[in-house]
Amino acid sequence: MSQGRTLTFNIFRYDPQVSGDKPKMVKYQIEETPGMSVFIALNLLREQQDSSLQFDFVCRAGICGSCAMVINGFPTLACRTLTSKYPQGEITLMPLPGFELIGDLSVNTGKFMRELAERLKLWLHPDQDDVDVHRLEAPMAPEEAARLYELERCVECGVCVSACATKQMRETFVGAVGMMKLARFELDSRDTRSVEDFYHVIGNQDGVFGCMTLLGCQDNCPKDLPHMQQIAYLRRKMAVALV
Amino acid sequence: MAITKINNKAGEASKLKSWSEGKNWSGKLDISQSVSGVILALFLWTHLVLVSSILLGGDAMTWVAGVMELNFLSPDGHGYPWVVSLIAIGVAALALVHVVVAITKLPMNLRQQLALKKQMSVINHGDTKLWVWQALTGIAILFLLPVHLWLIGAAPETIGPAGSADRIWNDGVWLLYLPLLVCVELHAAIGVYRVAIKWGAARDINTRARMKRVKTVISVVFVLIGIASLLAFLPYA
Repeated sequence: MSQGRTLTFNIFRYDPQVSGDKPKMVKYQIEETPGMSVFIALNLLREQQDSSLQFDFVCRAGICGSCAMVINGFPTLACRTLTSKYPQGEITLMPLPGFELIGDLSVNTGKFMRELAERLKLWLHPDQDDVDVHRLEAPMAPEEAARLYELERCVECGVCVSACATKQMRETFVGAVGMMKLARFELDSRDTRSVEDFYHVIGNQDGVFGCMTLLGCQDNCPKDLPHMQQIAYLRRKMAVALV
Repeated sequence: MAITKINNKAGEASKLKSWSEGKNWSGKLDISQSVSGVILALFLWTHLVLVSSILLGGDAMTWVAGVMELNFLSPDGHGYPWVVSLIAIGVAALALVHVVVAITKLPMNLRQQLALKKQMSVINHGDTKLWVWQALTGIAILFLLPVHLWLIGAAPETIGPAGSADRIWNDGVWLLYLPLLVCVELHAAIGVYRVAIKWGAARDINTRARMKRVKTVISVVFVLIGIASLLAFLPYA
C-alpha cells in the first residue's frame, strides 16, 4: 500500500566519545517497503547510508526493550512502530531523555535499571530461616501467578522513565518502573517484606508521594502495563500504613 | 566488639527514627494536598453556584447573601456579615496549606525548569501539558486569590446585587475576577481529575477518558456561568 514512498528521517546525532562533536539533527531519505518498521529503516540506513549511526536492538520483536527511542515526540519501541503510521512520511528520532547517552539514539538504560534494582532491592526476599534448595517449591495459586505475570511483563525499555516529567525534574525519583517492580514483590506471597519495609523505600518524595500522576508512563508503555492502577494501589497501601 | 555492636544498634535506632519522621512528613503532605485541593474545589463550585443566583434576579441573590450571613438567626434579620469574613479566612488557611505542599512539587530551581522545558520540547504528552497548565494557573491564583479574599473578607456587608455590581463594574474589579475565574475553573477541574486518578478512582483507561471529558465540561460550564454572572451584575452597577 505504502510501497515506494520516500521517507524522511530526522535523526539526532551526537557522539560524546568524539571530542569536538556537537549535537545535531541529520536528515536521511529512504524508500519505504511494505511492513517497514522504524527499526528496519534504521538498519537499512546504517547498512546503505551511514555506518556510524548508533542505535540499540536485540530481539526485533518488542521483547528485549533495547530499541526504545522518541519517535515524533512519543517514546516507544522502534521495532514495534510501523513507518506506515506516519502519513506525512516525516519521522523525527531522538534518544530517550533521562538516561546517559552512549551515542546518537543509544542510551544506557542497563546502568540505570541495575542501579534502580540495587537501590530498591528488586528481587525476591524469601524467609531466610526457611531456605532449603533441595525442597520442591511450594505451588502458587494460579490467580496470584497471573497477577505477578502481568507485572513481570516489563521489559525495562526505559520509556516510562523518559515519558515522566517528574523523573526528569527530580533525579532521585524512582519512576514507574521502580514502583511497578516493587508492586510485583508486594503482591508475591513468597516475599517476606512487610508494608513498613516497602514504605521505607517508596513511602516518600522519591516514591509514591512524589509522583504527580502525570501518567506519561501509562500512556506510553509499549507493553501496556497498568501503571496508573498499580501506583494508585501502592499509594493507598502506603497511606493506610501511615494512618 | 560488643561496643561496636551497641553503637551499630544506636545508629540503626536513630536511622529508624529519622525514617519514621520522614515517612510521616512526605505522606501527610501529599494527602493534605489532595484533601485541601478537593475541599477548595468543592467550595469553589458551591460558591459559584451561589453567586450565579444573580442570574435569577437581584432578589434571589439578596436572599442567598442573607442566608450566607445567617440572617435567620439574628433578631433584626440583618445577619452576621463577619461569618463571610470567617469563611474567607478559612479558605485562605486551606489555600495556604495547599500552596505550601504544591510548591514543593513545582520546578523551583533553574536545573528543574530547564529539565521540564527540554522534556516538553522532546516528549508530546497531553496529561503533562495539563499539569503545566495546572501549575501556571496555580501560580496566577496565588497572586489573584489573596486580593479577592481581602476585598470580600474586609467588606462582607457589601455583598449583594448593588454592592457587588459596584465593586465589579464601577471599581473595575472585573479585571481581577475574569482571569481568576478562568484560572480557578481550569485549575480545580484538572486538580480533581488528577486526585481521582492518583488515588485509584479510574480502574481502566476508558473510565479515565470519561473522567477527562467530564473535567473539560465542568471547566467550560463553570467559566460560562461565571462570565454570565459577571455580566448579570451590569444592570445593578
